[in-house]
Amino acid sequence: MMKKIIIILPLASTLLLFALMLFIILEERDSSKPPSALLNKQIPSFVTSDLLDSKNSFDQNITYKKNTVINFFASWCDPCKTEHSILMKIKKDFPNTFFIGINHKDKKNDALKFINELGNPYDKIGIDSGKIAMDFGVYGLPETFIINKNGIIVFSYVGPITKKIYNEKFKKFLSK
Amino acid sequence: MKNLKNFFLNKFLFLILFLFITTPVFPELKNNEKLNHITSKLRCMTCQNQTIYESETEFSKQIKTEILEQLNNNKNEEEIIEFIIQRYGEYVLLKPKFDKKNLVLWLLPFFLLLASIGVFYLKLRKKKINK
Repeated sequence: MMKKIIIILPLASTLLLFALMLFIILEERDSSKPPSALLNKQIPSFVTSDLLDSKNSFDQNITYKKNTVINFFASWCDPCKTEHSILMKIKKDFPNTFFIGINHKDKKNDALKFINELGNPYDKIGIDSGKIAMDFGVYGLPETFIINKNGIIVFSYVGPITKKIYNEKFKKFLSK
Repeated sequence: MKNLKNFFLNKFLFLILFLFITTPVFPELKNNEKLNHITSKLRCMTCQNQTIYESETEFSKQIKTEILEQLNNNKNEEEIIEFIIQRYGEYVLLKPKFDKKNLVLWLLPFFLLLASIGVFYLKLRKKKINK
């Protein structure tokens, strides 16, 4: 009996190792896009001035008790242009979701032109010189966060949102 | 003689001026060394296998500026690295932390080495006995 186990053990452990590796490969993990360190944590505090109304400013409290989407974008960022139609669709499909755009390291006129040409899906647009992006752990544009009513970041996505990603990943968080 | 005196006076004044100008620069230099030390432990998130120290990307430049500012505000290395990890995750560390979560990662190779040496030794002994 013992001998049998000893003979089978190497084969079984090799198979187990292969199964584990296969599982890891199939999990669709992208090492260039590690999960946000802020996932399941409280939204970082920030203060920003309003792009469309420079006399006004707002902070993280504006998201209080609202399902919120925060999208980091800039007019110089080409992938931001490609995802913009999806952002418009998000606003149309989920009009009750509060939508914040954070305009990152941009020129005001370029940002305004960007919004005028492609449409404005945002309820508020804040200006960021780099500090807000850093506090959100953003290292490339675009990046989008979903924040629940308790102010917890429940989902984040690095890169342009495609139709497929919107349907598969965003919808389930937004419809909660 | 007068020339010589003037010469030394000039040199002396120059030395005073030099010290006066460079003294405030020295702590900055020291912080720059610390900056290089810290940033060489951090991964540039927008590059392929480069440290923030080596990289010239917009992302790395901003992190460098932030770290230098924190060093000038007398924050220590540990606090600064924790600040970066809180935002970008442990992925930003080139060398994973040695903690409970990463214990398997750190110890498995040594465990496997010891285990295989053990198996090898047992096999050898068995062979000897059989002979």
